[in-house]
Amino acid sequence: MRLHPFTALTAAACTAVATTAAASWQLSFAVSIISSVLAVRAGVAGRVLSAAAVTVGPLCLSLVVLHGLFFPEGRTVLAEWGPARVTAEGLQFALDLASRTSACVLVLLLFSFTVSVPDLVSALAASRIPPQFGFVLASTLTLLPAIVGSLDRIRQAQEARGLLLRGSLLAHLGALRLQMVPLVQGLIEDAGIRGQALEARGFGAPGPHTSYRHVDDPPGQQIFRALALVLAAAAVALRLLASWPTASL
Amino acid sequence: MSSSPLTLSEAGRTASRNRRILEILGAAAIAGTYVFLVLTQPADIANGPVSFSALVALGGFLLGAVLLIVAVLPALPTSTLVLVPVALVLNVVLGQIMGSSGLPFYFDAIGTVLIAVLAGPAAGAATGALSSIVWSFFNPTVLPFAAGSALIGFLAGLAARGGLFRRFYLAPVAGFITGIFAGVVSAPIAAFVFGGTSGVGTGAIVSAFRAMGDTLMAAITKQALISDPMDKAIVFAIAALLAYALPRRTTFQFPFVRRFRVLAGKAPATPAA
Repeated sequence: MRLHPFTALTAAACTAVATTAAASWQLSFAVSIISSVLAVRAGVAGRVLSAAAVTVGPLCLSLVVLHGLFFPEGRTVLAEWGPARVTAEGLQFALDLASRTSACVLVLLLFSFTVSVPDLVSALAASRIPPQFGFVLASTLTLLPAIVGSLDRIRQAQEARGLLLRGSLLAHLGALRLQMVPLVQGLIEDAGIRGQALEARGFGAPGPHTSYRHVDDPPGQQIFRALALVLAAAAVALRLLASWPTASL
Repeated sequence: MSSSPLTLSEAGRTASRNRRILEILGAAAIAGTYVFLVLTQPADIANGPVSFSALVALGGFLLGAVLLIVAVLPALPTSTLVLVPVALVLNVVLGQIMGSSGLPFYFDAIGTVLIAVLAGPAAGAATGALSSIVWSFFNPTVLPFAAGSALIGFLAGLAARGGLFRRFYLAPVAGFITGIFAGVVSAPIAAFVFGGTSGVGTGAIVSAFRAMGDTLMAAITKQALISDPMDKAIVFAIAALLAYALPRRTTFQFPFVRRFRVLAGKAPATPAA
């Protein structure tokens, strides 16, 4: 069965919210493992895991060093070197937050690497969300690889004219300027032309717009989305009631 | 060019009033969330209380960012709207080029500031918030910072309207002040949602304040007050240089630049009839 883009998005977002509300590293680990297994089954494991490693890796490392060594609230001291104290509470806190962030990042990346962008954009256009949002999303996702290519061509052209990418800091900054100015100029020029073309085709005009692409939204998935939202809201409400700060207010 | 009536109809006036209300609600949601988080920050940061603050921070800031987008996006003219994807791509690509130059800053708002200078505070705020949302497709950790990016875009637009981009030496000053606000607003996200920062240098500064016995929120706020103003001062200076390097024919096609004389110099001369 093909998932409607909104169903996948709701499932991912509700899982992330519920994991944050639950505040338990066991659940976070379970969510991470299930997301990884689903990524393997969808055939996107390599991309999801490498993107997650790039974003979460440095954060986890920094959390372990920061809370592992410096946690003034900690009571159970395991080791001590001068101002640095390794405490059990600090390590627990680092584990809790690192596993929670990893779980949320993995489940959201699983969504973004499995969703079909054309389907998502037509689903957005069919919903009540302003059509401009769908345009920005689709335009950015298609513009990004194009820009990386044109930046490469600009660098080659400037190198052919004698640009050297080494030397002092000042020479480096000069080289950056020679690459950035043509890139920005070209982008803004192109955007102006694209704006006029869109305007000529009635993009900003009010009234109904025709779409050539139709995404099925079976009633079963609509019920699933409503249920997932209710469950996530319940998890949030439970957490808010359980940890409402009373003393400090 | 599109033809639009010079006077607003009754429906148009109601719609623009509704948008104004949404903008105010969005700003109030962000400010209210920040005040609530500071007043109720947990003294004992075990996982449970931090999870409470994380949910409040995520909910309040994202609600504010979404309200701002809903208020601003439908009102943006198409010529400005097509710049939003350009700004996001510039944030990412220029951030990468600057990162490869080996300087210890992150520069991930150059595109947002450039658009704010060319198209005004509302476009800047929408660009900042949208960039975070769209970029979270590849890196979900930037999503919670949407409100902070919106604030950077808004303040950059205000600075441009106030004429701070007319002189090159004033742009970094505006950036420095913007960095103070942006750093303070983003600190609860770093503290409660992520429990720290991901950079090596920033992590060391937070560790130093923690070693002196500060709470996590205080340590991260102080770290943000050290790194963010400097970073934003450089970002504003780069955006100003880029805006000056653009041909006047390009910059003066933006009504905001013409109306508030954002950049120094006169409009390109129209040939005498």
